[in-house]
Amino acid sequence: MSLKAPSNELKLDVLKELGNIGVGNATTALSQLLNYAKVEMYVPDVSLMPLADIPDLLGGAEKVVVGVYIKAPGVVSFYMVFLLNQESAGALIAELAGVETRIEEAFGRSVLLEVGNIIMAAFLNALSYMTNLTFLPTPPQLAVDMAGAVLGTVLADANVAEDYILVLKTAFATAAGKIEGSFLIIPDMDSLDLVVNLLLDGACQ
Amino acid sequence: MSEIIRVKIADLAVLKGDGLLITVGLGSCIGVAVYDTAAKVAGLAHILLADSTNFKAGDNPAKFADTAIPLLIDQMARLGARNGRLTAKMAGGSQLFSFENSVISVGEKNIQMTRQTLSRLKIPLLGEDVGGNCGRTMRVYVSEGRVTVTMVGSEERQI
Repeated sequence: MSLKAPSNELKLDVLKELGNIGVGNATTALSQLLNYAKVEMYVPDVSLMPLADIPDLLGGAEKVVVGVYIKAPGVVSFYMVFLLNQESAGALIAELAGVETRIEEAFGRSVLLEVGNIIMAAFLNALSYMTNLTFLPTPPQLAVDMAGAVLGTVLADANVAEDYILVLKTAFATAAGKIEGSFLIIPDMDSLDLVVNLLLDGACQ
Repeated sequence: MSEIIRVKIADLAVLKGDGLLITVGLGSCIGVAVYDTAAKVAGLAHILLADSTNFKAGDNPAKFADTAIPLLIDQMARLGARNGRLTAKMAGGSQLFSFENSVISVGEKNIQMTRQTLSRLKIPLLGEDVGGNCGRTMRVYVSEGRVTVTMVGSEERQI
């Protein structure tokens, strides 16, 4: 079978399904962390988005957020950010660690980094299982700052050449409504063809 | 009422006489404000990356330090700004995430290329607030040419 470049529409569809499975896995991991609390997940929204609109994606570029950033370089690179508002970050730390602590303190940061690590690894695991590709994610990094600054830095770090970026965005909330967060996953556009072809091949077998 | 323009990421804008140019949430990105006092023409660019020559031609020139600044000067010239009278201020280039293996951060590359490009174009850099590990919002008050920076939890201050 000859490999041809999949259409953008097909890529979006495949990425959406990939996102569904990956984020489902990540949400399950989060629920386990929270002692099997019910976690509601929204169907991931996948779109080709103008670069300039990305910093405003999550309620405004100047809004202060907690961002955990992991990159997974490889044959196919993924740049992933897990974003929470400050209240949710505080609630998440309290829920997991059983103590009230501030995000600024080393212990609080460490809890958030670990949560980021676990849920993104769950996402990558699902992806790796489906594609047979290996991902070697970097240790997570945390920043508490304006959403625009966090997302702008991730875009610059991803060296985005395109003016339109493929973005997978989803949100989740615990049943108690205390914790809400978002994932933003930016795949490397060129290498995404490979993932799509691997998945389509797999589906044909 | 005077005009307020919000400059988004990888974009730029110019104004003459009166108004406010603002760019929100500069992380490793750089905000460059250029001003012509005599003509009261101001320009602001929100630069994402340093060097356009690392990418294929045809990309948005406002995205890169080496191409955004010349484009900004062109647009300002159309409003009556003159080359010999231009001055610049810059903010941003911070390192929000500290990856240990990165030899030189994206923010630092952006700072260096912005300085180089301004010096190549012979535009004096009169003020800056760069580096560190905090995001910034930058405002340019067009009538006075005043440039300010705000960070999360801190007051607006002039640079």
